[in-house]
Amino acid sequence: MSAHIGDDAALYALGALEPQEMTAVEAHAASCVACRRLLANAENDVATMLATQEQLEPPAALAERVFATLDPSEQPQRRATRPMWYTVLAAAVAIAVLPTAYVYRQNVAMHQAMLADADAMARVAANPHRSVAFAGRDARVMYAPDGSWYVVVIRGVHAPLHVMWPHDGEQTMLGTAVPHGDVALLYLPKSHRMDQLALVEGGRVVGQAQLVF
Amino acid sequence: MTALAHWDHQGLARPVRRTTLRMQAPHDDEALASAFASKERWAFEEAYRRFGALLYSTAYHVLGNAEDAQDAVHDALARVWRSPDSYERSRGAVRSFLAVCVRNEAITRLRSKQRRARLHERVAAEPQEHDELRIVDVVEHDRLRAAMQRLPEEQRKPLELAYFAQKTHVEIAQQLDIPLGTIKSRIALGLRKLSGALGGTR
Ligand SMILES: [Zn+2]
Repeated sequence: MSAHIGDDAALYALGALEPQEMTAVEAHAASCVACRRLLANAENDVATMLATQEQLEPPAALAERVFATLDPSEQPQRRATRPMWYTVLAAAVAIAVLPTAYVYRQNVAMHQAMLADADAMARVAANPHRSVAFAGRDARVMYAPDGSWYVVVIRGVHAPLHVMWPHDGEQTMLGTAVPHGDVALLYLPKSHRMDQLALVEGGRVVGQAQLVF
Repeated sequence: MTALAHWDHQGLARPVRRTTLRMQAPHDDEALASAFASKERWAFEEAYRRFGALLYSTAYHVLGNAEDAQDAVHDALARVWRSPDSYERSRGAVRSFLAVCVRNEAITRLRSKQRRARLHERVAAEPQEHDELRIVDVVEHDRLRAAMQRLPEEQRKPLELAYFAQKTHVEIAQQLDIPLGTIKSRIALGLRKLSGALGGTR
């Protein structure tokens, strides 16, 4: 392996290397995790500087050009196989997400929330997971076998629902699932296994799920 | 993720202790980075939606015109999308990774443009004066300027030449008449300090 990049990380991030040095840094970083982290730090520093510059709105045509590049034939990796329920759910989420393109300017916050929902669904689709239904409500929780993330999907819902973790005689509030259309979704990255989840609406528990690990 | 509503614990079957009401911050960045690393299309689109303005502005400030800036953003993103190992989680945040990709693409374009211009117009212009002007002109961002001013001169000068005038370390060493290795370590040190002064998180 070539030499570690050291101070060249900063110079790479600033664009201050000669072309051949730049190539060498990229080649080394591809096989050295320590130097990737060095680069990550330096790039973070430079991004902090770049964020102070005047921000310009990119022309709409650029978005079209960029998205056109992401042609499916050029997609480098297969997507994970999707279970049947995903197809159904994805359709529901897609219906909720689709019109957002038209209201983007008017409602950026909602748009972001919907994109986040789509993010969560894609994460579920791409990773091994378990799925458990809630009792008392048309809802499911999909979760990583190691408890590192949870996605709660509630259908037929028209008001935000709170998701709680009952444990040790206490209730920890995890977050709020806000409906788009009539599907509400909440993605929860976690570092611990939660063997029980509760849905709370208007201060009352309306659904409960027992999770198995 | 979704906005967190104010939690009203009245009427719960079991009382909620205030100490256990931990609001969960959104972890969008994590999810985006994982999906970006595994080359999922939605993650690229989402990255552009979130960071497009930063990327475009970065290219524009290097190249000085909309057409070249768009080309730089497009080409940089296309290269990342097409190359199989361009990004891994250990490379850090998608935002800073892409910002640097775009900036490097823009700088490469600028340099080849300058080379062509020199060739065609035989402009033997001494760049030093122009660079100084450009620095003064561009450093209108108060926070960055203030933070830069707090750096020791020996770190500030080479960092300014790299960041604002897009000079390579070889050019900087020549211009400041300082050995190559010394320039590298001063730039690296200056960058770390400056980011800390700007409140950058590491
Ligand atoms: Zn290394």
